[in-house]
Amino acid sequence: MVPPAAPRLRGADPTASGREGFAAGVAVDEPEEAAKFTRWETDGAGQRVGVSSLQLAGMHCAACVGLIEQALRSVDGVVDARVNPGSRLATVRWRAARTRPSALIAAVQGAGYGAVPDIALEARALRRRELREVLWRLFVSAFLSMQVMMLATPAYVAQPDDLSADLARLLHWGQWVLSVPVLGFAGMPFLRGAWRSVRARRIGMDVPVGLGIAVAFLASTASTFDPDGIFGHEVYFDSLTMFLAFLWLGRWLELKARHRAAEALEATIDAMPLTATRVGADGQVDVVSIHRLRVGDRVRVPAGAGVPADGPLHSAQAHLSEAMLTGESTPVQRRRGEVLLAGSLNAGAPFEMVVERLGADTRHEAIVALMRETLSQRPAAARLADRWAGPFLWAVLALAVLAVAWWSALDPSRAVGVAVSVLIVTCPCALSLATPATLVASAGGLARRGVLLRRLEALEAMAAARHVCLDKTGTLTQDRLRWSDTTLAPDAGACGVSSGLQALGLAASLARWSHHPASQALVRAVGAEGAAATWSNVVEVPGAGVEGFDPLGRRWRLGAAPWAGGADRAPARVVLGCDGLAVAAFGLQEQLREDAAQVVTALRSEGLEVALLSGDEPRRASDLASQLGIDRAHGGLDPAGKQAVLRGIQASGAGVVMVGDGINDAPVLAAADVSLAMGHAALAARQGADAVVLGERLAGVVDLRRTARRTLRIMRQNLAWAVAYNASCVPLAMAGLLPPWAAGLGMAASSLLVILHAQRAGDAPVS
Amino acid sequence: MDILYLLIPLSAVLVLGVVVVFAWAIHHGQFDDVEHEGQRLLSEEPDAVDEGQGSRPGARQE
Repeated sequence: MVPPAAPRLRGADPTASGREGFAAGVAVDEPEEAAKFTRWETDGAGQRVGVSSLQLAGMHCAACVGLIEQALRSVDGVVDARVNPGSRLATVRWRAARTRPSALIAAVQGAGYGAVPDIALEARALRRRELREVLWRLFVSAFLSMQVMMLATPAYVAQPDDLSADLARLLHWGQWVLSVPVLGFAGMPFLRGAWRSVRARRIGMDVPVGLGIAVAFLASTASTFDPDGIFGHEVYFDSLTMFLAFLWLGRWLELKARHRAAEALEATIDAMPLTATRVGADGQVDVVSIHRLRVGDRVRVPAGAGVPADGPLHSAQAHLSEAMLTGESTPVQRRRGEVLLAGSLNAGAPFEMVVERLGADTRHEAIVALMRETLSQRPAAARLADRWAGPFLWAVLALAVLAVAWWSALDPSRAVGVAVSVLIVTCPCALSLATPATLVASAGGLARRGVLLRRLEALEAMAAARHVCLDKTGTLTQDRLRWSDTTLAPDAGACGVSSGLQALGLAASLARWSHHPASQALVRAVGAEGAAATWSNVVEVPGAGVEGFDPLGRRWRLGAAPWAGGADRAPARVVLGCDGLAVAAFGLQEQLREDAAQVVTALRSEGLEVALLSGDEPRRASDLASQLGIDRAHGGLDPAGKQAVLRGIQASGAGVVMVGDGINDAPVLAAADVSLAMGHAALAARQGADAVVLGERLAGVVDLRRTARRTLRIMRQNLAWAVAYNASCVPLAMAGLLPPWAAGLGMAASSLLVILHAQRAGDAPVS
Repeated sequence: MDILYLLIPLSAVLVLGVVVVFAWAIHHGQFDDVEHEGQRLLSEEPDAVDEGQGSRPGARQE
């Protein structure tokens, strides 16, 4: 079972879904859970048919499709099953009267694959609608702009007398007919956006774009139907449609990049409903969805599972890992009556507890609520291009007015025509492509290197940030303990143990019987080839350790000091004892990520001030900080405390990057200017993060910083180029020397240049 | 060159017809998953292109 705090990365533990499949599968059948991934229909015979969507895992070839479909269709009651290899989704139609979702999941698992309910169904449908809409607008504008260009070409290449006036008007009419759908389908969103931002008195990029579109279309329409009117006889339909096609190309690329990130993140969300083992008054046990738990229920929590609700412990003792909630890395011990928190993990033997607070009332949900609140208060980051939009718009309008004034004195009949051509030539095509094209290229490159950007705008904030705050447990350290040293006790010889290595081997072989994090650290220390001693009558004593008898009948104990043997020692040490005598003590430490020190150095050389924010004891936090060369360490912080420290740094005006993984980090992630979550992070933390670093590679943070700075440089170059192009064309247009074909050609060339230059942002940055 | 007076309006109408066809295609999911349709070739049993369009309509129900 998966605790609320630790959504498992699919593939990290392939056996897990099989092992817990049954318990979670039963909960899938409960109506409220089934509704999350099932649509209901009624077939011709009036029977209820469910259409369920399942996420598949373990598919690696096209033949798998057939195998899974076959397995599903062989379930009694399945009407049809269809597997999409691209999205790894199975769509199953089944009769409600004859089967249930758990049977479908079991069938897929029986065929050797993994299946979980697809709760992202709605999000996926929304994405599909978005993509269809943008693709449609891109097609209308791109396809029609080609046709318009075909009709526009004769006027550009013809000798003065080749084209009769009638034919020229017919060509203009044809262009007009083809431009109307472009304006209606592809231009409207920009016009609406421009209108909205004018009404809100915030000048964004939509305003100059909308102005350019509107002026180009109205002036060209007027000159099509009244060639002798004040707007002159030039038409700009080809520039207008090409401009819109370029804009939608940029939007389409951006959408694809965003969707790719969303899909990759969705694939890592384990969708099995959370279950709890409820113990009835008569001692009967049943597995239910946690939504069915009621206050006062007694719940059994197996070893390694998550605590489903807040409430007092019913068993005598329990060991819990609250790392995800508090950042405290070592498991804590709780006694009967003490309150356990939902989202913590059972690190010891199974225990029973009483449900006191559920769902929204739990500590876990309170932290999530704090994150949501912070997120909703975060102002939308203004895009670089939007900051340029205001001054740009006023400059363009001033130039147009200047042109009208100049030509009114010189030749009043051409005044409006020249003003129109100024407004059209300054239509910020390259300017509005410069930012999205660069961001998309850079996000694509980052995704290939294992950093998923959820908010493209985060790159700008990342490049500008001055501070970086790192969480300790799970971010700088791996989320498990490591054996560090062995001390042989004076009595070791009496038990036949002569070396530290031998003691470690013995301890590890006994530790294999336990799930406790300390035991697992010892097992990892010797590896798979550790001495396999034969133990009999092994028992795990809750809150104490493991006990077993060797072939000579001696009782060995591994665990806390007085219980296992010998005098009381530092609590961080695990003692191996034999018949009450201490044999050896083992030190356990948090394991730093291999690249942690390197990353801290690299971040400092990138000009960032590094700080450590931890929920763990202040002393441990500062020890680790000095070990890694981190300037500032804050320990003992709860989620609100972390937020307060971060806000303190932000108050000085500097941008802050936060890297974290636990639920306790979610609120501070939401408050940071840029937030990064590790790939294994809690769902809540990933929801609040701007980017997710996959593959447990902390170096992704450095990569993101370097890429962000480079991206911003390329973006500025692109913007500078776009402005230079506009600046050089404006004098020509004001002088009345810029024919429509030259305006169109210049626009296309500058846009292409901007897009091609943006591709550089996708390359891996050089350190 | 008089034929141009017929052909230009005709081509404009034709182009609009193409746009309408594409509108149908895009809103019926023809472009939703372009990358992976090619993999269908490799599956053991040829799949129906669309629901209700199977080559052997009866064969898929057991």
